[in-house]
Amino acid sequence: MKTASPPQIEYLPYDDDTQLRRQIKGYPRSFTRTPSAPLIRRPLTLSELTGPAGLERRLEVGDGDMSRAVAGGSRALGQLIRVSGRVTGEDGSPLAGVVIELWQANAAGKYIHEMDRHQAPIDSNFTGLGRLVTGADGEYKFFSIKPGAYPVMESDWWWRPPHIHFSILGPSWMSRFVTQVFFPGEPLNETDLLLNGVLNEDARQRLIFETEPTTVGTLNFLGFQRDFVLRGKHRTPALD
Amino acid sequence: MTTSPYCTIGPFFPRKFVEGCSDLTSFEGRSARGRHILLTGRVLEEGGEPTRNTILEIWQADANGIFRHPLDPRSADADPGFFGWGRAMTDAEGRYRFLTVLPGPCRAENGAPRCPHINLMALAIGLTRRLVTTIFFADAPDQVDDPVLNCVTDPAARRRLFPARDPSLDADGADGYRFDLILRGENETPFFLD
Repeated sequence: MKTASPPQIEYLPYDDDTQLRRQIKGYPRSFTRTPSAPLIRRPLTLSELTGPAGLERRLEVGDGDMSRAVAGGSRALGQLIRVSGRVTGEDGSPLAGVVIELWQANAAGKYIHEMDRHQAPIDSNFTGLGRLVTGADGEYKFFSIKPGAYPVMESDWWWRPPHIHFSILGPSWMSRFVTQVFFPGEPLNETDLLLNGVLNEDARQRLIFETEPTTVGTLNFLGFQRDFVLRGKHRTPALD
Repeated sequence: MTTSPYCTIGPFFPRKFVEGCSDLTSFEGRSARGRHILLTGRVLEEGGEPTRNTILEIWQADANGIFRHPLDPRSADADPGFFGWGRAMTDAEGRYRFLTVLPGPCRAENGAPRCPHINLMALAIGLTRRLVTTIFFADAPDQVDDPVLNCVTDPAARRRLFPARDPSLDADGADGYRFDLILRGENETPFFLD
């Protein structure tokens, strides 16, 4: 009798053409921290193909509302937004039970973080962080406020455009993913060193939210949408 | 479908997302089996400068070499007191600290034995993608036959993937191991294509 074997997922290295360059002129640390030796190709074994599944048993997951510091409390200042999308593999298969960590600046462009030296006010109704788990179809959804732009204090010109950070964990060590997603139509998008570190135009658009049609109702928010494609696809049987 | 572009973690990863994640020696109220170890060291960049505010994550098998994951045929026997994933952040000196268990030997998909090891990744300002490497544990590093380690052909680079046992670091019943992660420069750590 055959025992059911778990799905076999194939992970190929990232396609450099559709990713940020590793070293970006004007982004100094990318030159002191990127390894000088070529990255070494290795086989993927059980160790790399597994990963922290079911992380919500270890990490606290929130209610998907970052627009308030506490449930039922006052809303943070700024434009209320709803962000939603799906997380899938390269073959489009939904990734359920994946943990998404989110962090962002407040409406004034200020993070609650000891490293942030920008002279902008903190909003006591905004923590700027959240954690979610994707649903059965890989879907996610959260409320927040639109982040402000902020200056990079180590630079004499660089202002970061509004963006939200995403950290996605699962389903395997190979699919661990971290990125930043930007808002459409922002003038600062044109000069941002990171967003423009993706040379491929189509790929760059995948770091920008799509707007949803506006609606007016009881709860009024602007809707933004962004799907994520994580590395990994189901192996197809070889043809005879 | 094309994979989404990676982007740097930046300087402002919330401290709250790191708190409580560097101690892997218990899970859901149970203590992990096996030898507990303190894995510590510094993350350095070019010029030997400390890389502060680096986020490190690890993934490893339990003391019996079992991964808590459905792909591991032995996962039903995974240690209920061990989850296998952890996260730490470097301080102003570039120092990090994980409390975990010494992983047991596991097997590759094709059944080939693997040397006990911990998967390690680094995220930091300046890194547009994560960096991945593997830390190995063995009494005689030069005799290790491991399919991933064998891809590192330079003997000096190979040895850099083995942490040094350092009894002066022993604490709270955990054996101390020292491992410096050198992102770039002299004695650079070998990293794998991701």
